[in-house]
Amino acid sequence: MKIRSLKLREAHKPAGVDRPSCCSVLWDQRAHHLVTASSSDPAISIHDALLPSSPPRILRHHRDGVTALAISPNSTCLASGSIDHSVKLYKFPGGDFQTNVTRFTLPIRALAFNKSGSMLAAAGDDEGLKLINTIDGSIARVLKGHKGSVTGLAFDPNGEYLASMDSMGTVIYWELHSGATLHTLKGIAPNCGSDFSVINVLSWSPDGETLAVPGLKNDVVMYDRDTAEKLFSLRGDHLQSVCYLSWSPNGKYMATSGLDRQVLIWDVDKKQDIDRQKFDERICCMSWKPIGNALAVIDTAGKYGVWESVIPSSMKSPAEGIPNSRSNNSNGLLLFDEEEEEYEEPSAAGSISDPGEDSFGESGPPCRKRLRKQSTYDELWEEDDNDKLSSPPKPKSRKECHDKKKASDNVHDGLGSIMLPARSKMQDAFQPGSTPAQPGKRRFLCYNMIGSITTIEQEGYSHIEIDFHDTGKGPRVPSMTDHFGFTMASINENGSVFANPCKGEKNLSTLMYRPFCSWASNSEWSMRFEGEEVKAVALGTGWVAAITSLNLLRIFTEGGLQKHVVSLEGPVVTASGFKDELAVVTHSSDCLSSGDQVVEFTVFNISKSTKAMQGRLPLTPGSQLMWFGFSEEGLLSSYDSKGLLKIFASQYGGSWVPLFSASKVKRSDESYWVVGLNMTNLFCVICKSPDLFPQVAPKPVLSLVNFSIPLASSDIGAETLENEFILNYTHLSQIHHKIEAAAQAGMDVSSLEDDVFNVEAAQDKCILRLIASCCNSDKLARATELVKLLSLEKSVRGAIKLVTALKLPNLAERFNSILEVRLLAEKGPKDASALNVQDSASTSITAAAVSEKKTDAIMTLTTPKLSAPLFIKKVKSQEGTRVGGSDQIDQDVNPSIPNDGATKFKDQKIALQTNVGGEIKKPGNVHELQSERPSSGFPKSTDNLEKIKNAGQAHRQPPQRPSNPFLKSAVK
Amino acid sequence: MAVQSEPDYSLFTAQEIEFVAEDELIEIVPNMRMDPLNLICGDFGPFLPQIAAQVPLWLAVALKKRGKCTIRPPEWMSVEKLTRVLEAERDSEREFQLLPFHYVEISRLLFDHARDDIPDIYMVRSLIEDIRDVRFHKVQSSLETFDGRTSAVQIKSLSAMEVNIVRPFVARALQSFQKLDSLLPETDSTPNNQPQEADKASKGRRVLRGR
Repeated sequence: MKIRSLKLREAHKPAGVDRPSCCSVLWDQRAHHLVTASSSDPAISIHDALLPSSPPRILRHHRDGVTALAISPNSTCLASGSIDHSVKLYKFPGGDFQTNVTRFTLPIRALAFNKSGSMLAAAGDDEGLKLINTIDGSIARVLKGHKGSVTGLAFDPNGEYLASMDSMGTVIYWELHSGATLHTLKGIAPNCGSDFSVINVLSWSPDGETLAVPGLKNDVVMYDRDTAEKLFSLRGDHLQSVCYLSWSPNGKYMATSGLDRQVLIWDVDKKQDIDRQKFDERICCMSWKPIGNALAVIDTAGKYGVWESVIPSSMKSPAEGIPNSRSNNSNGLLLFDEEEEEYEEPSAAGSISDPGEDSFGESGPPCRKRLRKQSTYDELWEEDDNDKLSSPPKPKSRKECHDKKKASDNVHDGLGSIMLPARSKMQDAFQPGSTPAQPGKRRFLCYNMIGSITTIEQEGYSHIEIDFHDTGKGPRVPSMTDHFGFTMASINENGSVFANPCKGEKNLSTLMYRPFCSWASNSEWSMRFEGEEVKAVALGTGWVAAITSLNLLRIFTEGGLQKHVVSLEGPVVTASGFKDELAVVTHSSDCLSSGDQVVEFTVFNISKSTKAMQGRLPLTPGSQLMWFGFSEEGLLSSYDSKGLLKIFASQYGGSWVPLFSASKVKRSDESYWVVGLNMTNLFCVICKSPDLFPQVAPKPVLSLVNFSIPLASSDIGAETLENEFILNYTHLSQIHHKIEAAAQAGMDVSSLEDDVFNVEAAQDKCILRLIASCCNSDKLARATELVKLLSLEKSVRGAIKLVTALKLPNLAERFNSILEVRLLAEKGPKDASALNVQDSASTSITAAAVSEKKTDAIMTLTTPKLSAPLFIKKVKSQEGTRVGGSDQIDQDVNPSIPNDGATKFKDQKIALQTNVGGEIKKPGNVHELQSERPSSGFPKSTDNLEKIKNAGQAHRQPPQRPSNPFLKSAVK
Repeated sequence: MAVQSEPDYSLFTAQEIEFVAEDELIEIVPNMRMDPLNLICGDFGPFLPQIAAQVPLWLAVALKKRGKCTIRPPEWMSVEKLTRVLEAERDSEREFQLLPFHYVEISRLLFDHARDDIPDIYMVRSLIEDIRDVRFHKVQSSLETFDGRTSAVQIKSLSAMEVNIVRPFVARALQSFQKLDSLLPETDSTPNNQPQEADKASKGRRVLRGR
């Protein structure tokens, strides 16, 4: 027998000298790719088999070495298990991370897909091995019986059994239907103890008739499928025990690798070895090429290679005559949907199965397969009826099953989706700030800026805990035992509301409200719903809202009075409450063919019983709503799965404005889980990839993230400034909106006016810096536009200084003329417009003047509403301006100028007149025209008309502003 | 080391060094709302519940004692990082790993006051103790190579506590060497007889010991 040598290439770094690691290698179904992993390397490599020299695609999602790999039979999905206790799924061959399908408490050692790809078995050092439904990620079953760590898993190709093997050499046959143990064969394989570089494996022959297991006498022993009797063994030249074995695709040959560092190829029928190869290191994993005559091997040092033409040409090819060959089209269950938050919305996402095409298009309809598929679902059913045997499933999947039973509008219906053509589904209802259920772990029912509600399920009960972030303020709420199995909750300062979906006949959907403090002793209440199911809950001051599966919005008072029942226009997505306002998001139609959700929002004012707003809720294409709520100021906000945060701003008569885009800021390994926001910051929990949501323990910490508007990358390269610029405008318009509201309500607006002044000062600072960067990149027209947006006169002077310093006299002249126009306009709008008509050369100024005239007209109408503080404020600001202008203008673009002026004069209302007098006397570079202004600045010394003009002046800039930035961004 | 056990020999007491270390900044997660604190050493806050803030260690400990915050252990205090440091410390004979200047004191304070905030506290604690022992052993063994030619000792990235223990001893030892040295030239005063050798000797003395 000739000995050939095979060159191996390094795919993974070895753990160290004399520290063998357990590596794995896999072919995909078409033999286009080779996937390798090592227990000493957290990365998984996908090598292109056709271009072996090209660098592999690396998937780095695990935190520790990868011990197990599995590819779904149709090669659309790759699963990996790791020492870091997690099992992850990826798209294949793209390698996009899909989801953390499950977590263990100890390292994973083995993974296996069943032949249809609908089930993934995972096992390791944990006590039980898990069967995971790949459609929705639910744990279908936990099988317990092994004493040691499970190192080998194999689904029977005919779909009835699962064989598993542990490190002590025990093999168990499980019946998949019932989860029962059929046979336990103790000590039939070598005991490899705790050395995890040697793992016991086992493998079914491709026809499913025999199970191959490494034997105790350096051989491979075959066991019968049904009786588990020993049939025969392959014994030959292995000097030490066999550590890996692999059937050829047609089941005629077998490759075995031994601890003696050789690989033997066997003709199984003749029970004879036909070829062998010696290696430098022990081969710890092998994989036959699905099409062709080759074997991929990987050794304990992480080196892999492909052994071509393993079987001599005189013999039958290993891929020839594959039993019941359906390798090219497994049942076509496309495992995953395009959505990212598969895990968040299991029932919504698993849906995209397009078996329609595939299973009907199959050439030979294998009835056996149908049966098998049926059995998978049977299992789901059984598991549902029979909670004791398996681990408690997620409430969501229960809900699904329930829907199935009702055979209602099968939106979340697994069976139904098989019959439907491929398309994404309408998003399921969710509570903002909740995390999906994870077996055995505490999860958030609600997490907001006030506190959190967490729950954990233990033996049929749940334990609910309520915590306030501010422990000093909120009352101490004792933890409670929950017999209902609440899955929805909401919390505010006054109380908490809970609801559960209905589970069968006996367990109706219940809504419960617990006030935190009440003078009455038994003020908690609950409502039961017959024939309908609560889908979302929300809380506000003095009211509780529940939205049900019948699309009814039910409003209760704090005491439990059923106050209103309103019909909604579609199935609910989520709801959120803030003071008097309730915002509900509903589906307005089925998904578009592109997979986009069609949702709309409605805002109700509960105390006034009015509908405040209604409209479409825009989502980024292909995304789902992830969070929905109010900002601290009460602005409606939404965050979608593509990482775009939008608020409902008053601009353009009320529209959604994107304020934050995760893709702009995020480092690739982080995702943002939004909790709330205020005017300037987003509060969120930053989750390290691949987690999309935080765990309850350790307690998540909120991070403040600055807004970053998804701006186009501009030619002046000052994106942060431009971002700040727009944000300031948004902020300003929000304050002005508030001032108007407050003025209408006859409230004092002076503090808001102060805010306006501060923001305006900040905005001027920002604009000046933008002007500088515009000048630096020679965009003079833009700089001129910017100057017109400055709100303080002193800032304009600063801009002139700036351009003079930058040696742009042309621009400085232009700025000067703008300033003159401005001062004239302040003196009297008529003069200004006259001057502008003369100055016909600059058309833009004329346009500005026209708009000024317009706003003046508007302002004359609104002035009666404006109260006195405004005037004082105006004077103050002028004061600040002037002093700054005369004293500090030499410091050109000192950003603190406006603020200085403001603070200096904040408390000097009384000293105002004398100050002004002093100012006028001051010699130097006070502009000639400026002397006109103090007189118009005094409310007392001027007539009424002047006052109105002044008010218009104070108010003129803001209404114009919102339009300007957007004009600008449109130009970009 | 003899010096270690006798506090009289060290320049500062351990408490004093700890006091100095309390000015180091550390991240806390408050569970109350509080306006910014304008202290002499700087402005801290505002404090919002569940949002991390940087404060001096003494403030963190004070708040922690009142149950007003949880302390986030610094990055270097994770098992992973410390294991790496310990390994590196053991691997290299001479080099000292980069750790915060006050790592002994900070970890001590956190172990005393914030034991529930440190994940794997036993592991972290034993790791830090190991690191400290290993480093100390290194300091000790490097000081053993002291001889009459040494006029200065340079050890990079030594921490406050370690320096404090070593410094008085080293200073005194160098002093006495110097005293002995100054006696020496009088005994064999051979002026300009062997200028080259004298030159060499003085050169050798000035060379800093790279540690």
